[in-house]
Amino acid sequence: MTGHRDIFSRDCGRATLLGALAAFTALLPQAATSAPQPASFLEGIHRQTTLTSTVPDNGDQNPYAIVVAPVSAGSIQKDDVLVTNFNNAGNLQGLGTTIVDFNPTTKKLSTFATLPRDLPQCPGGVGLTTAMTMLKTGWVIVGSAPSADGTTATKGAGCLIVLDQNGKVAGTIANDKINMPWGNMATIDDGQTATLFVSNAGFGVGSPEGDPRVVNAETVLRIKLSIPDGKPPAVVDETIVGSGFGAQPNKDVFVIGPTGLALGPNDTLYVSDATGNRITAIWDATTRDHSAGVGRTVTKDGLLQRPLAMTTAPNGHLLVTNAQNGQVVEVDPASGEQIRARWIDPNKAQKPPGSGDLFGIAMTPAGDGFYYVEDEANTLVLAR
Amino acid sequence: MSCPFAPARTGPSRRSLLAGAGGLLASAGVGASARAASQEVAVDAAAREMFFGEHQGGIATSQQANSYFVAFDLVAKTRDEVTTMLRLWTDAAARMTAGETASPLGQDLSTEGPDGASALGLSPARLTLTFGFGAGLFMKDGVDRYRLAAKRPEALVDLPKFNGDQLQPARTGGDISVQACADDPQVTFHAVRELDRLSYGAAQIRWAQSGFLPRTPPGETPRNLMGFKDGTNNPRISDPATMNKIIWVGAEGPDWMRGGSYVVFRRIRIALEHWDRMKVAFQEETVGRKKYSGAPLGAEGEFDPVDLDRTDAEDNPVIAENAHIRLAAAAQNGGARILRRGYSYNDGVNFTTERWPPWRQGMEYDAGLFFVCYQRDPRTGFIKVFDKMAKFDMLNQFVTHVGGGLFACPGGIAEGAFLGQALFDRA
Repeated sequence: MTGHRDIFSRDCGRATLLGALAAFTALLPQAATSAPQPASFLEGIHRQTTLTSTVPDNGDQNPYAIVVAPVSAGSIQKDDVLVTNFNNAGNLQGLGTTIVDFNPTTKKLSTFATLPRDLPQCPGGVGLTTAMTMLKTGWVIVGSAPSADGTTATKGAGCLIVLDQNGKVAGTIANDKINMPWGNMATIDDGQTATLFVSNAGFGVGSPEGDPRVVNAETVLRIKLSIPDGKPPAVVDETIVGSGFGAQPNKDVFVIGPTGLALGPNDTLYVSDATGNRITAIWDATTRDHSAGVGRTVTKDGLLQRPLAMTTAPNGHLLVTNAQNGQVVEVDPASGEQIRARWIDPNKAQKPPGSGDLFGIAMTPAGDGFYYVEDEANTLVLAR
Repeated sequence: MSCPFAPARTGPSRRSLLAGAGGLLASAGVGASARAASQEVAVDAAAREMFFGEHQGGIATSQQANSYFVAFDLVAKTRDEVTTMLRLWTDAAARMTAGETASPLGQDLSTEGPDGASALGLSPARLTLTFGFGAGLFMKDGVDRYRLAAKRPEALVDLPKFNGDQLQPARTGGDISVQACADDPQVTFHAVRELDRLSYGAAQIRWAQSGFLPRTPPGETPRNLMGFKDGTNNPRISDPATMNKIIWVGAEGPDWMRGGSYVVFRRIRIALEHWDRMKVAFQEETVGRKKYSGAPLGAEGEFDPVDLDRTDAEDNPVIAENAHIRLAAAAQNGGARILRRGYSYNDGVNFTTERWPPWRQGMEYDAGLFFVCYQRDPRTGFIKVFDKMAKFDMLNQFVTHVGGGLFACPGGIAEGAFLGQALFDRA
């Protein structure tokens, strides 16, 4: 069983700052006598600031993935924030085709990529998900979980789409190991080679009509790439490192499935298992040659309310967004302790506040805050 | 030359029926005929808005309780067919706003009635008819049908696509707009029907929208369907200087637009079921005003100044960063102001999917706000004000713009002239 400390609301921003300072000073004498306890990253977060609308000219909505550019390439500047849209202008899920690019310096939003709705190599077409990464070589790889009518009743298996630095399609990755690549990618990028971890949420998933059951057939796929000079990444190896995760079609939110992926020390991959309301750990993530199943449970329930995308704070803690309220939860993966939660989307238009509003999350380059999206407002927000 | 349609030779006019009614009531006492005459004058004075003048009616007119808007597509082949229709409309509009039938009623019952008579006996109820020209009058599908393309005013731009727009073609645009406003819904609908009849062969209805306001005591701001007072910070229509600065087109416009204005319509569907389940305090945070008093948050009275700089003890703005009235405030938009003259609408229920979590689906009210605003130039009016609101207004999670249009309302009509005559005379 895991514990948690407290919940801070957005209204307590100032109080949180004072609390953080008090906690910091309180730790100083302690540090001289014993090993320092892991500080809370969220305790140092004071305020949320809306940065931009994420809606491009074609009206796409429902921002999902957030990736901070590791390099400047083509039209992208280093530290730009790339965001996918999952819905089209009619707000149908699984039909969004755009990636927007927010430049934190100029505060300008541009459209990095507008993909064709139908891509022959991508079964079902294009509906861009939370699965996205940008490599140091400038290639962007993004997942598609497409639908024809905004529900999983008409879903396709989708694919991973490789884009060049100008947002043009350079290739696709589609095979029987890929079915609705869904969650935020974890990436190890060595330049000439890269390793991607991708969660799938489409195996065995059908129509959301009626009362569809949870299908425990979802996987986490490791994809090793080679990136020859000037050429698109090529798949060298694909291995299923996690399996048996649940997915459930849903009329409102399309599908509930494994969403967050984050790498930790000791070659551990953490997975947020939405239907299981838990975070699990897959060991030997880069080297294993067979599935670890759903892995070892790190933490479950408590502050977690259907965990979604996940990232790692500088203190090594996991930050995971909740689907069923507007909170981000900080978890110490070493102990499994749920450190605290912060209400980063307290929008009372949903009950509980912020429910259904959060999805993607990514650390700022300086590690002093994080970006997240508000799906109800179609905005990119900085918490710092 | 005697008028062939002189009232003495025709059936009853709406006014004569009113006078007759007055006469019947008055006949119980002495001096019946004199009282009837005076009552007729009294009814007209209270219930009639002037049609001819420097400006079209229905803009700087104290807002009536009901509205019926219709957008027409022109199908006229020639410019003469258009001007013929506009002449007929002008004559009919002048008569109807004066409480007359659209055309004099004849005695020949074997022919089509010159007026459908659905408002016969009714007061004009302060009827105004406000006409606007859409882009399609000047150029349609790349064709200059009426040799007017060069006359299109610069300010009559194509409205940009705003964030969140879900505009339906069947409820958007049009070549000519007519908005009838009156204190009687049957009078507004009658007026539109009669104009539609007169346009047969020259124009056809593209879309229409009825609207209503609550019967609010004079001087009080009406509430919208969300339960909030709507229109508190409007420019004062009784202040000519303000109107000249903000609403009426001046020397910068073509002569036929001087004294006119540009009108933007937006059919805004409101997720009332969702809104009704919100806590009042959150509704107030979203709007930026107190629900019951109409006062801005942080103030006491409805008409107290909106203090956007005020913060609470924790340094958070009292009026939230994305509150509706903050984003609409002139101070946030480079001083841009518009005259709002919208109406609530209620078209029953239909199946819909809300656009926000929890993405509720089902039969919901197709009701909301038929937003109407007038301005001197939409580029510095609605477009400027709404661009930011479309992206960040907290209210956006309850409202969807599903139709609308932009029209150039020519200046007022002189007696003997017809609507927009200067545009056609010089074309």
